[in-house]
Amino acid sequence: MITIPYLTAVSTYFSYGLLFAFGQLRDYSRRIFDWWSANNLHGYAPICLAHEDFYIRRLYHRIQDCFGRPISSAPDAWVDVVERFSNDNNKTLKRTTKSTRCLNLGSYNYLGFGSYDEYCTPLVIDSLKKFSPSTCSSRVDAGTTSVHAELEECVAKYVGKPAAIVTGMGYATNSAIIPVLIGKGGLIISDSLNHTSIVNGARGSGATIRVFQHNTPAHLERVLKEQIAEGQPRTHRPWKKIMVVVEGIYSMEGEICQLPEIVSICKKYKAYVYLDEAHSIGAIGKTGRGVCELLGVDTADVDIMMGTFTKSFGSCGGYIAGSKDLIQYLKYQCPAHLYATSISTPSAQQIISAVKVILGEDGSNRGAQKLARIRENSNFFRAELQKMGFEVLGDNDSPVMPIMLYNPAKIPAFSRECLRENVAVVVVGFPATPLLLARARICISASHSREDLIKALQVISKAGDLTGIKYFPAAPKKQEEVKDTIKLD
Amino acid sequence: MAKLYVKAVAPPDMNRNTEWFMYPGVWTTYILIIFFGWLAVLSVSGCSPGMAWTVVNLSHFLVTYHSFHWMKGTPFGEDQGIYNALTWWEQMDNGQQLTSNRKFLTVVPIVLYLIASHTTDYRHPWLLLNTLALMVLVVAKFPNMHKVRIFGINADK
Repeated sequence: MITIPYLTAVSTYFSYGLLFAFGQLRDYSRRIFDWWSANNLHGYAPICLAHEDFYIRRLYHRIQDCFGRPISSAPDAWVDVVERFSNDNNKTLKRTTKSTRCLNLGSYNYLGFGSYDEYCTPLVIDSLKKFSPSTCSSRVDAGTTSVHAELEECVAKYVGKPAAIVTGMGYATNSAIIPVLIGKGGLIISDSLNHTSIVNGARGSGATIRVFQHNTPAHLERVLKEQIAEGQPRTHRPWKKIMVVVEGIYSMEGEICQLPEIVSICKKYKAYVYLDEAHSIGAIGKTGRGVCELLGVDTADVDIMMGTFTKSFGSCGGYIAGSKDLIQYLKYQCPAHLYATSISTPSAQQIISAVKVILGEDGSNRGAQKLARIRENSNFFRAELQKMGFEVLGDNDSPVMPIMLYNPAKIPAFSRECLRENVAVVVVGFPATPLLLARARICISASHSREDLIKALQVISKAGDLTGIKYFPAAPKKQEEVKDTIKLD
Repeated sequence: MAKLYVKAVAPPDMNRNTEWFMYPGVWTTYILIIFFGWLAVLSVSGCSPGMAWTVVNLSHFLVTYHSFHWMKGTPFGEDQGIYNALTWWEQMDNGQQLTSNRKFLTVVPIVLYLIASHTTDYRHPWLLLNTLALMVLVVAKFPNMHKVRIFGINADK
C-alpha cells in the first residue's frame, strides 16, 4: 500500500504532462524540419513504428546519465563508477578514463559473493583452468560436465525438492520454460507486478493470461472462481491446466509474497503454483532457503520453484526445481536445455561453492554470518530511513528497499546528487514502474559494514532534503517532549 | 497545511500506457490544467473571458482528439506492439465501455462547451466552432465507435 500526498500526485501528473507536451512539440518541429531538408533514404522501412520510441527519445535520453552507468571494478560494497560526459545534452555519452570509488547501493549483491571470495574464487579459477570458460555446446550435445551434474543435485538439495534443472540465463529460464509447461487451453494467473520474463514466457505459451491484484489472495480467489466457472474463452470447456505465477520478493516493491494464503487457495481450487524466487533465494530465511523457509511453507506444496543465481550467489543462470517427473519432462522438451548453450562451468562451480559456504559445509561459519548480517543491515537501514521521514516500501527482512520519489524531475536530481557524494544508487521510472510511482531502489548487501550504511544514510538524507522527498514527518529525537510527537498513519 | 495522503493500490491492468489513469489525483489534475490554461490565455492575450473559454475549448479539442483518438499504440516498445492498432481511448480500461473514467472524460468536453457557449453569449462564429468540436469529441467517445474507422481514416495499412 503506497501512500502519496495528494499534492504530490497532482504535481507529478502535471510534470509528466509538461514533459510529454514538450516532447510532442519537439517531434513536430523535427518532422517539419526533416520534411524541408533532403531525404535520401527512399525505399527503406523505418526501424521503429512512429510512436514506439517516443518515451526513449524524449524522456529517457534526457536523463540518460543516471542509467546504465559503466563500472570498472567488481561490484562489491564499493565500486569504481566510470565518469561520462556529454556534448549534446545527453543524447550520446562518452566515457572518460577516470572513475570514482562509490558506495554501491545498486547491485544485487545480497550475500557479498559479488567480488573475490576466499573460498569460492580459487575453486572457480581451478575450474576455469581444468574446463574452459564455456562448453560451447548445448547440454544434450557435449555441454554436460561432472560439475553440471553436481550443480543440479546441489541445487535440488538446497531448495528442498527432489530434482532440478539449470539453464545458462535467468531471464531465459522463465521465458523458455513456461511455454513448455502450459499451452493453449491452459490458464495462467499471474500477479500484476510480475517480471517481464514471466510476462514474455506467458505470452509465448499461447495460454490465456489473467492478472490478479498484486499480493492480494482475496482477489486471486475471486479471479480463480470466475475463470473456473467460465471455462475456456468461447468454448467454455474446462481449462486443461491452471497455473498461478508469483514471485518470492518483488524486486520493485521489496514486498514478500503472501505465500501461505496463496498456496492454500491454489490447493483448494487445484491450481499449480509457480514460484519465482529470483531475489529471495539465498537472501531470506534462516539458512537462506528463500521465502518458503521464511514463511514456513512446505516445499512439497509449491509445484514449481524457479530461481536465479545472479543475485545471491554471484554467478549467472537460473534453475527450476520440482518433482523428478517434471524435471525429466523438461529435459526432454525445454528448448533452453536442448538448444541453448549450457551454463559456463566456472560459473557452475561458483554456485556450488557459494551454496557450500552458505550451508557452512566449507568448514567455517561465514555463511551464517552473512545471512545474519544481511538481515541486520536491511532492518537497520529500513528503520533509519523511515525515521528520517522517507517513504520506504517493502517488508521487514527484505534486502530490497525502494524509496519513493514520484516526481520525474526528482529522479535525475536524486541520482546525480548521490553520485556527487560518491554513493551509487539505482533510480527507476516509467515504464518499469507505474507512471506516478518513480522510485530509487536500494539493495543492501552482507558486505556493507555499519560505517558504510551510516555514510549512505547521511548522503541519502542530504539528497532527500535537497530534492524534497521526505513525504512523511520525521520521527522526533528521543530528548524532545513526548506530547509534540506526530503520529504516522 | 496538513498533508492529505491518498492510498495508491496497483490496479490489475497490464497496459502501462493507460494504467496511470486509474490512480488517484488524475481527474483533479485534468480539471486544474484546463482552469489554469484559461487563466494563462486570459493573462497573456487580454481578451474577454468568453473568448478565452472558446480558445481553451478549441485547444482542448485539438489536444485531446490527437492524443486520445488519433495516436495509436504506446510510447514505449516493451509490450511488443500488441496495442498498435488501438487508440488510447480504445485501450482505456482494457476495452471495457462505460466505466467511470470514460464517463468523466465524456462529461468534461460537454461542460467546457456549455461554459464556452454561455460566456460568448451564443454568438456566431464561436458557437459553430464550439459545437463542431463538441460533436466530434462526443461521437468519438460513443461505445459503438469502438475500433470503428470512418472511411478508413487512421486505419492500419
